[in-house]
Amino acid sequence: MSIKRVLVANRGEIAVRIIRAAHALGIEAVQAVSVADRDSLAARLADQVVVLGPAPSKQSYLDAKLVVHAARATGCDALHPGYGFLSERAQLARLCAEHEIVFVGPEADIIDALGDKLRARAIAEEAGVPLVPGTDQIASAADARKAAATLGYPVVMKASAGGGGRGMFVARDDQGIDASFDRASSEALEAFGDGTLYMERYVENARHVEVQAVGDGNGRVVHFGERDCSVQRRYQKVVEEAPCALMPATLRSELHASAVTLLSKLKYKNAGTVEFLYDVDRQAFYFIEVNTRIQVEHPVSEQVTGFDLVQAQFRIAGGEKGALPRQDQVHLARHAIECRLNAEDAANNFLPSPGRIARWAPPSGAGIRVDSHCTDGYLVPPYYDSMIGKLIVTAHDRPSCVARLADALDDFAIEGLTTNLPLLRYIARHEDFIANDFHTRWLEQTLLPAFEQSIKE
Amino acid sequence: MSQPTPADIESLVELFNRSDWEEMHLKTEGLEIFLSHDPKAQPPGQAPAAAPAATAAPAPTEGAAAATAAAPHMAPAVTAHDIVIPAGMVAVRAPNLGTFYRAPKPGAPPYVEVGQKVAADTEVCLIEVMKLFTPVKAGVSGTVREICASDGQMVEYEQVLVIVEPDA
Repeated sequence: MSIKRVLVANRGEIAVRIIRAAHALGIEAVQAVSVADRDSLAARLADQVVVLGPAPSKQSYLDAKLVVHAARATGCDALHPGYGFLSERAQLARLCAEHEIVFVGPEADIIDALGDKLRARAIAEEAGVPLVPGTDQIASAADARKAAATLGYPVVMKASAGGGGRGMFVARDDQGIDASFDRASSEALEAFGDGTLYMERYVENARHVEVQAVGDGNGRVVHFGERDCSVQRRYQKVVEEAPCALMPATLRSELHASAVTLLSKLKYKNAGTVEFLYDVDRQAFYFIEVNTRIQVEHPVSEQVTGFDLVQAQFRIAGGEKGALPRQDQVHLARHAIECRLNAEDAANNFLPSPGRIARWAPPSGAGIRVDSHCTDGYLVPPYYDSMIGKLIVTAHDRPSCVARLADALDDFAIEGLTTNLPLLRYIARHEDFIANDFHTRWLEQTLLPAFEQSIKE
Repeated sequence: MSQPTPADIESLVELFNRSDWEEMHLKTEGLEIFLSHDPKAQPPGQAPAAAPAATAAPAPTEGAAAATAAAPHMAPAVTAHDIVIPAGMVAVRAPNLGTFYRAPKPGAPPYVEVGQKVAADTEVCLIEVMKLFTPVKAGVSGTVREICASDGQMVEYEQVLVIVEPDA
């Protein structure tokens, strides 16, 4: 291992995870903290701690120059950005390169290219990765009907100048287009000053699936299977699992191949995730974006493959020969589900509930993993996101995994502050979740109303 | 009761410094703290481990060196730069992590020397982050009593840089 000392430019559970992976490889860890995290578990586990600045992220974890300065001043030869914060800022990767610090992630230009949605779509299209089928501008209801015949119903008409759901009309047949085309156009004109419309396939029954991949920077990319992250609230993932048990094997292979082709073309280096929308009714998938970092939900892929992805990140970044396994060495077995534990009140509009944890008693047993920075007496500070840990359960198939998840959640005791444990328990025991019958809007449309009702009763 | 954090002890010492008490003795499960303004003071009973905090603090200029040399996997206790400010004195602290410079440029005379009078807006040092130099002001009018960081040393957020005795 050519990396000797790494600066951990993150906090919370991922900082703990990074330090442990570094130590396992004989790398020293310097933990950069804000003043609010001076006594955190990561600070205690690290070989050295440096206080960057005050609690607000902008003056500490989000200041790339400050973080790189800390790395240099403490003699670090590498920097791990974790997820969130600066992890997908090309500026950080660039500053590291300028100061001969190994950035544990892809190159700055790749982060830039994939961070720009339009450029990323163009790259995907060029690599032959499917996008949501759509049209250029459509001039009339007749043109719209013609285009819809090619796309297949249902379709959605959108304002070219629009965004955020305004001026969007779903049509399920020719009559639907005739009924709404003029209205969609005039509403677009009113809302955005431009009545131009375009049309896309409408995915009614959508799953969010993503492929975990790691590249060596020379064009070789290996995937570690896919994850299904369809239980979401306001685009925030709540429950993630691997594999996507709903997807047929042939489609799954195509999905993996798409992700690998896309990243190979870029000579992608380090860990990355290609996100797709899975259209269950049409049995098709469409590219969404690439995340150029390790993700919160990476443990489910580790559980089903047996690989340590954070250690792999270090080994790739350190230029270790043989750091990347051959694809045929990656075996996908078992089922894993992760729940994000948040200090928030699901019964009260998800209000954050920071505070002192009086008792932290995670479950244990076969197939149970808890990634967290919390301990008895830990103060969850109010300055950062509310995630306090992740529960990951593994079993030989999905039904037994769901059962194990429900039991493990029942055994989890956190006292002293409000958490989303009641919501997670409700999800794990819901018939739709057990039956694997849900989509990306299920949590908001079906589960949360039922959960709120259950509290009142 | 959970163990007090370094920050808790720090604020305790600050409270003690601001008080007019001569001594303070605190004993809880697994922890004993004895604070005194008298360097020769002895804690009550047979607790030799609880040395007076004022003399237990390491020399401030050794702060960064001590931190860098910290043994691997050692839990950081009160970090070395958490020095005790003598009663009535004011600490000028680092606004963020950076490199400490006593002079505006190499070879130039230092901003301030010990014994020098300063006004609230007198610049006393520079903190550099990636070639961005930020002057730090005294914040109080008085006399410089100590310079606690050495030129070119990395300092952390809130680390004490200069101690000023305010004008009466």
